[in-house]
Amino acid sequence: MKRFLRLLSAERVKIANIQIWLLVLLSPILAVLIGFEIDVSNDIGLWERLLLEMGMAHGLLFLPILSGLFAAFICRYEHSGGGWKQLLVLPVSRSSVYMAKFTVIAVLLAITQILFLAGVFLVGWMKGVATPIPWEFMMRSFFGGWVACLPLAALQLAVSVMWNSFAAPLALNVVFTIPNMLVINSERIGPYYPWAQPLLSMLPNSHSFGAFNLALSNLMIVVLGSFIVFFIAGWIAFRLKEV
Amino acid sequence: MMSELVIQTRNLNKRYRGRSAVSNLNLEIAKGEIYGFLGPNGAGKTTTIRMLLGLIRPTEGSVQIFGKDLNKEKLNILRRVGSLVEYPSYYGHLTAVQNLETVRRILDVPRSRIDEVLDIVSLTKESKRAVKGYSLGMKQRLGIASALLGNPELLILDEPTNGLDPAGIQEIRELIREMPQRHGITVLVSSHLLGEIEQMASTVGIIREGEMVFQNTIQNLKDRASEGIRIVVSEPEEAIRVAMDQGFEGTMQQGMLQFPNLNDAQVALLVKRLVDSSHDVYRVEEKKKSLEDIFLQVIGEGGIS
Ligand SMILES: Nc1ncnc2c1ncn2[C@@H]1O[C@H](COP(=O)(O)OP(=O)(O)OP(=O)(O)O)[C@@H](O)[C@H]1O
Ligand SMILES: [Mg+2]
Repeated sequence: MKRFLRLLSAERVKIANIQIWLLVLLSPILAVLIGFEIDVSNDIGLWERLLLEMGMAHGLLFLPILSGLFAAFICRYEHSGGGWKQLLVLPVSRSSVYMAKFTVIAVLLAITQILFLAGVFLVGWMKGVATPIPWEFMMRSFFGGWVACLPLAALQLAVSVMWNSFAAPLALNVVFTIPNMLVINSERIGPYYPWAQPLLSMLPNSHSFGAFNLALSNLMIVVLGSFIVFFIAGWIAFRLKEV
Repeated sequence: MMSELVIQTRNLNKRYRGRSAVSNLNLEIAKGEIYGFLGPNGAGKTTTIRMLLGLIRPTEGSVQIFGKDLNKEKLNILRRVGSLVEYPSYYGHLTAVQNLETVRRILDVPRSRIDEVLDIVSLTKESKRAVKGYSLGMKQRLGIASALLGNPELLILDEPTNGLDPAGIQEIRELIREMPQRHGITVLVSSHLLGEIEQMASTVGIIREGEMVFQNTIQNLKDRASEGIRIVVSEPEEAIRVAMDQGFEGTMQQGMLQFPNLNDAQVALLVKRLVDSSHDVYRVEEKKKSLEDIFLQVIGEGGIS
């Protein structure tokens, strides 16, 4: 545990990088810009509407892509030019390195979600929305979106460890994100498509069409199941990796 | 074995899809020495070093470091080893100090150690600059600084002078040479150039196509530099017969007479006999094999004759 915490604090030094924080800020800022365009004259379920409309691009595109991008960024130097060697000759176990890398990705995604939520509150406040904040709805959306990103991050980490490259899996991640717009409309495929899960988990039961009808708890079972599969696959691959 | 072995491998093997990269390697490195690990490109130096550091698993055989099995006590062993494998890589946006800080946090050594190692590799002045602007030599030195950070007892450096200019090579060589005396560190340094190792190593191991073909002191290797006398005369065919008649074991190569290991008296006698049988003696030369020649011979034939 002590070794893991030391690794984590070493990782923290590595992400003192302006680019990473720009990535974290990108989607929340766009969401705020979209939020300013929303008409708030109709007072019913205003907070829910703000979250839905601001969260569409965020959940549909940004969260799946960022899950891959963070995974890429966090291992950028390790993947290029022998960086894994330099890290793994230190007295660290491979498992703790893998856990530390994954933890950093998960934390970055959580920060993105927090900023997004802050963006929703900011827009609501500036537009003078008077109704009380529906905290339960907001929190479910916040955690749902975050948890649904974890399988994607695990998948990205796993595939890049197996392929010894980060560019190719990153491109693939974008390619698989694009069909999201179609996939979310399908009640059958949607919940099982990892790239659609962030949006579906963020905006549960709010639309009456397609995959949105699925209960959040069912969706979470699928999300956690795929997370466990991807995470363990990547973890084993990393332990066996020839560096 | 008189002195304590820091590294010992037994029948170390690594095969890639049936192709042998390292075979039956028995490496023995004693405490306090600088061990030069030599071999041409593709001989298996890096593969061996990766196995020593637990980066890849041997197909067969075992590695003992500090008398402990690498498989069983990997983390304890690695805590006492500093290494640089092939090219170092860094977080380019970070400064030298920040890059070292990422390693320091893992090793849990005092912060002052960063200044110490930067001073050892003379990078103190440049330490506040982003590493992406560093020259190859500076990056290499930072790699060595990083390897020294944890106060290692064993330093493993894979071609640390690769890509450096002569001044840079000299600097790194000086640095390595003082490790055993000043810091009590045992060093394993690989290279494909004997000339580079010769001036710092006390022991050399020469590897060729994955097999160890020589492992002994550098002095032992030098002693094998078979010397010889070369004589250039007017009629070599006849001259060699004269020499043979006198009991000199000689050969004729490229129109010159070659004699292995003659002492001064024998040379004088041979020349006298040749002159007596009215040969014109143009030149008498001592032929001394350079270490590089021996090295080439070793890696060419797979052993010393
Ligand atoms: N991952 C791998 N897959 C297949 N073959 C490999 C692999 N790694 C190394 N080899 C082979 O093992 C042999 C030894 O390579 P190695 O890198 O250890 O040589 P080296 O002595 O370090 O050479 P150099 O001086 O060029 O660095 C080579 O023939 C190489 O092709
Ligand atoms: Mg090599």
